[in-house]
Amino acid sequence: MHIPDNYLSPATCAVMGAVMVPVWTVAVRKVTKEVERARVPLLGIGAALSFLVMMFNVPVPGGTTAHAVGGTLLAIVLGPWSACISVSIALLVQALLFGDGGILAFGANCFNMAFVLPFLGYFIYRFISQRVKGQAGEYVAVVAGSHVGINIAALAAAIEFGLQPVLAHNAAGLPLYCPYPLSVSIPAMLIPHLAVAGVVEAGFTAAIVAFIRRVSPGMIREAPSGKIRWIYAVIVVMICLSPLGLLAAGTAWGEWGPEEIASVANSGKALGYVPAGMQNGLKLNALLQDYSVKGLPDIVGYIISAVAGAAILVILFRIFSLIGKSGRDRARGGTA
Amino acid sequence: MITLSNVSYAYEGNAALCGIDIDIPRGSSVAFIGPNGSGKSTLLKLLNGIVLPDAGRYSFDGELVTRDALRNQAFVRRFHKRIGFLFQNSEAQLFCPSVKEEVAFGPRQMGLDEREVADRTNDCLELLDIARLAQRSPWHLSEGEKRKVAFASVLALNPEVLALDEPLNGLDPRTKCFLRELVVSLRDAGKTILCATHDFHYVEGVFSDAVVFSADHRIVRTGGLEEIVADRGFLEANNLL
Amino acid sequence: MTPAWLLRNEAYTPPSDSDAFLDRSVRSFLGVLSLIRSRTGYTRERRGLDARVKLVSTFVLILFTSLAQRPLFVGLCGTVLLVSLSLCAAEVIVEVLKACFAAGAFTAVILLPSAFWGNTAGVLVVTVKVLICVGVARLLPATTEWRAVTRGLGSFRVPDIFVLVLDLTLRYIAILGALSLDMLYALRLRSVGRNHSKTRSLSGIAGTLFLKSRVVAEATYAAMECRCFSGTYRGGQPQALGVADAFVLSADAALIVVFALIGA
Repeated sequence: MHIPDNYLSPATCAVMGAVMVPVWTVAVRKVTKEVERARVPLLGIGAALSFLVMMFNVPVPGGTTAHAVGGTLLAIVLGPWSACISVSIALLVQALLFGDGGILAFGANCFNMAFVLPFLGYFIYRFISQRVKGQAGEYVAVVAGSHVGINIAALAAAIEFGLQPVLAHNAAGLPLYCPYPLSVSIPAMLIPHLAVAGVVEAGFTAAIVAFIRRVSPGMIREAPSGKIRWIYAVIVVMICLSPLGLLAAGTAWGEWGPEEIASVANSGKALGYVPAGMQNGLKLNALLQDYSVKGLPDIVGYIISAVAGAAILVILFRIFSLIGKSGRDRARGGTA
Repeated sequence: MITLSNVSYAYEGNAALCGIDIDIPRGSSVAFIGPNGSGKSTLLKLLNGIVLPDAGRYSFDGELVTRDALRNQAFVRRFHKRIGFLFQNSEAQLFCPSVKEEVAFGPRQMGLDEREVADRTNDCLELLDIARLAQRSPWHLSEGEKRKVAFASVLALNPEVLALDEPLNGLDPRTKCFLRELVVSLRDAGKTILCATHDFHYVEGVFSDAVVFSADHRIVRTGGLEEIVADRGFLEANNLL
Repeated sequence: MTPAWLLRNEAYTPPSDSDAFLDRSVRSFLGVLSLIRSRTGYTRERRGLDARVKLVSTFVLILFTSLAQRPLFVGLCGTVLLVSLSLCAAEVIVEVLKACFAAGAFTAVILLPSAFWGNTAGVLVVTVKVLICVGVARLLPATTEWRAVTRGLGSFRVPDIFVLVLDLTLRYIAILGALSLDMLYALRLRSVGRNHSKTRSLSGIAGTLFLKSRVVAEATYAAMECRCFSGTYRGGQPQALGVADAFVLSADAALIVVFALIGA
């Protein structure tokens, strides 16, 4: 569910980052109040746990494997605010220290996986476990919380994707980042998450919570008292379902589909059929028609390409010398 | 039964084993002795297929253990059933919520019917004197109890070879004695026993042979355990006494 | 005393089963652990650019590549990446290129359907941008010691606690990751037949991680208490920037100016 860079416009990324800033601030304050000075190691541990949970390959019926995110799991065991910080730090470590990218999209990824997922999952878990008593109730609560949590998080990501063609397009109307509208991105994200990723998340979370409860129940954070009222549940459900209304709302937001893109391509001249659009797109000079920029001589473009060419040669040379070295090593020793 | 020819292994650039030649016949009991970092644990991991040699060959009961062999599911399962490994860190070996499930895990995998699984589990729990811990979680046990649970769970597979990595580390004298007696009885039952240790006082009388590792990851001496232990000069020179 | 079945050698034919989940989990943990080991040792003799400069440049390059619309500017960013790469060791080059092409191929496949309704240019541009941004993002940790990265992050007016938590996170990933790997091996060694509860076994390992983590955290807390931890963490003066640092920073500024002139 990690969104890479360049799928969302920088403006979207900035907005999502801005939304997360107050969330993080509140989270730090809440965690500080709850755990006092022991919070420092516990925050590091939470982040490490979040990171490691994402690395397990969980078997899926059918023989393949999938990954869980564990946001709801962390929310149940550590509390939702700690979970928010833990997942955020884990995502930061993944982006900066493992070079997995998602640096500009950090805010959006945190929103989906460190905010929506743990909080919604936790909310549903508590709501159900308060009303359905006993071990069965607990189990259902965990499964429902984690399954719905990850699917709504996927829905949030799908909306972020789906709005890109509308929010970020060039003068000709072509999308600059993710080209798929809501009518494509929502099913594309939701179907695999409902069918596979959600099941994996729910199964893995339930099994781990069951293990911890059985072996060391004191580890699970005490939920604060106070029953969640029905009205909040209704509000939450409505908020979650409202984006689907965007689909039904009409052409401006949801029905922006292939036909319309084809009709505005190529500087406003309507195309009769798609192959012409593909043909035009493939012509190099159509792509590079801005290569010579007014005011800057052609020489700039040539210099840049010369520098690039030289750099490529150096890179190739280094790679070949590396291949030569490992070949010599292999001849000398042996590799299993 | 176990043959290593000129096996070498390096871990991220650092040599761990250099030019190891070993031949272990079925039913023998061998102690791997050496100072810390000499490669004893690495050798046991290699024998169990956790790591593969960079050079040389490893054959187990006539079959070569290679990367391709370990990709063959049937071979891997047979292999892991026939050689059991007791980790140095008992905590890392236990992952089931109760001791009984931990011990029953292996036999259940083998497809034995439930009655046989229960029999084997109870036998192993009795053998290791941990029957009273059956419903407890391994996580909450003391070091000695964890070691026994790990031992029981490995034994339940009925392996032909037992590889023990520093089995007596950190145990109180009574538990050490207990495990020692158990290993002796397993040896007498015909199992091949391999043990990595730097505490060879306890292994006298248990193992007939010894392989001595040096600090530079080579074998400096093989032979009868008793005569090696008697050679004080040799032991001091190699940081074993 | 010894039960009869222990005295027998059994001829055992294992039932078939799939261990893909175990092998893949082992591989991902091994990958992470070896990456941590190789990046957190003090092996760099040659002092390269200051980590803060690298952080700024990484961000600038990724941001402006993403904002760019003119192919010329995107080409300029790509050239900057190529030049930076050419100054690196061969192993770093290979690692970065592998990440680039994997990400690029993935992006091209995902975006391909949109080419069929005329968005070919968009597919190409986004794919190239992804190639560049992933390369830049991978270059940073590949050429910088992680401690320097966390210190560098901390120098941007962030509380000490944040840097401490980051460092602790890395350490705990290494410790707990090694424990997970051992448990995965233990599971694999005892996977001698058909496991009907694979998720349960895996969740037992993950659950044990959670339990162990509490122990590890409390040990750290006790150690910090014993050494009178008061909240300050970063000691020492930050090192002054060198000539190379100044050069790179001015190159970043130049890139921004160029973008303002022609990039949008």
